[in-house]
Amino acid sequence: MGDIARRNNIPKKFLDAILSELRNAGFVYSRKGKAGGYSLARPADEIKIGHVDRVLDGPLAPIPCASKTRYQPCGDCDEATCQIRRLMLDVRNAIADVLDNTSLTQMCDMGGPEVLIAETMTA
Amino acid sequence: MSTSSGRLSVTIIGGGASGVLLAAHLLRNRDTDIRVTLIERRGEFGQGLAYSASQRDHKVNVPARGMSAFADDPEHFWRWLQQRGYPSSHGSWVFVPRRLYGAYLEHVLREAGKSNPGRLLVMSEEVMAVRESKNGIETLLANGTSVVSHSAVLAVGHETQPARSRGIAVRVGSERDTPLPADAEVMILGSGLSMVDAWLSLADANHRGPITVVSRNGLLPKGHRDVPPLSIDSADVPFGTSLPYFMRWFRDLVDETKKRGGDWRSVVDGLRPYNQRIWQSWSGHTKRQFLRHLRPWWNIHRHRLPPELHERLVAAVASGQVKLVAAEFVGVERAEGQVRAEIRRRGSSTREKLGVARVYDCGGVSVDVLSSSNPVIRDLVAHGRARADALRIGLDVNEHCAVIDHAGKVTEKLLVIGPLTRGRFFEIEAIPDIRVQAATLAARILSHA
Repeated sequence: MGDIARRNNIPKKFLDAILSELRNAGFVYSRKGKAGGYSLARPADEIKIGHVDRVLDGPLAPIPCASKTRYQPCGDCDEATCQIRRLMLDVRNAIADVLDNTSLTQMCDMGGPEVLIAETMTA
Repeated sequence: MSTSSGRLSVTIIGGGASGVLLAAHLLRNRDTDIRVTLIERRGEFGQGLAYSASQRDHKVNVPARGMSAFADDPEHFWRWLQQRGYPSSHGSWVFVPRRLYGAYLEHVLREAGKSNPGRLLVMSEEVMAVRESKNGIETLLANGTSVVSHSAVLAVGHETQPARSRGIAVRVGSERDTPLPADAEVMILGSGLSMVDAWLSLADANHRGPITVVSRNGLLPKGHRDVPPLSIDSADVPFGTSLPYFMRWFRDLVDETKKRGGDWRSVVDGLRPYNQRIWQSWSGHTKRQFLRHLRPWWNIHRHRLPPELHERLVAAVASGQVKLVAAEFVGVERAEGQVRAEIRRRGSSTREKLGVARVYDCGGVSVDVLSSSNPVIRDLVAHGRARADALRIGLDVNEHCAVIDHAGKVTEKLLVIGPLTRGRFFEIEAIPDIRVQAATLAARILSHA
């Protein structure tokens, strides 16, 4: 874990919070002890980015009024006529469509610092 | 042997609800020249295990408004009911007798044939095997002939297992289900919808004797209420998580809904469009956990009873006539004109024996294709042309419902519809799900025209 934090330049405490949420949701599991640490609970190509994102950030809503289960009104607009909200509902569906069809493996293939995390975790 | 001409041809094996729905969808577009051969061994079409006349006055467990043969024409069944003079005073949130639904399916099939002269052939034959041939699929019949078509679809639906315990336990409605003295004590194994059917048959025969219902969990199906489904979006659903995480989300949503004055049924029904996706997003481990620990609990909330029937059942339990026992069924033996059933109550390590006049086996539908009573399924599995899915609850199929053989190779021309695909889709037992699958399959078959 210290390895992931160092290589990706993120605070260990922050990483700890993320990993613990991911563990609760069943995406990673942890082992105690000297040879312990975190590993992916499923093959990387089965883990979809959209599924992980819902766990870390809640419903895939671009703005709070575009979520159905975590709905919050904006307070300064009339929802029935709000064009932005209608547009954002489409945006939300588009987001879900992309993220739910992208696996961790595919994201790794795109490169970037996430590669390091995934490599460390599957190693 | 009938040979296939140049036009697109499909053989559907099984003429129950799934087979009829597929035939109707295939014949909906009159512009496509297609030959559909529908083969059913019983010679009654649309009357599979669920909707046969033997079910007498048993009701469909889904309101009429959800039972149209076509998802894009939701009023189709209701219009048919109206044309037949079914009372409309209570609206379409009514639960019709199952045999009436069987008659509707027959009507749907007849109409499909009438509006497509020469394109639908129905046969009363038993299918023994299917073989991949150069031109497609050859379907071998019990009478020694065969049908060749470009593709074939297995629509064999539900099948019941033989009753347990070397034929001492009895299936409701089977030949051995002879009349009983009205005050005889009986035991029913299983507490799901099949048990309700058995209890109803007994109640309708004015049975007065005590009825002990034994199941692992002792859970009764819940009743329907006319509440709208909660509007849930796919962006809200936590796909791919562990079971405890998902259940926490689900329970929180139920609690919030109740706090706003809503009903848990709205959450269960609101989730319905996503059930297949949720199932598919789970790991093998999570699926197994669900089947082992949550399935009975899910079933009673998801597959509910018409409200009047539920009230009657609850009243029968309250009166003491029906006794619910959470126990494991160990076995049954004949003893002095009676049968003696052995059970072990939940939480107890000792077994006890109960003497009853008859044990009804309502353990639900068979899911193990390896012990199928259907010759075509047995033949496919025995020759390695098909295999059980990883969870052993149906046949292994790919995302397009094509059969996967023992080596993992897909046979594109051999497809499956209905409950046998539950390993991949899980919720594929009710008309609202099967009609969508029929539409998808039909579109795919027709795209090869």
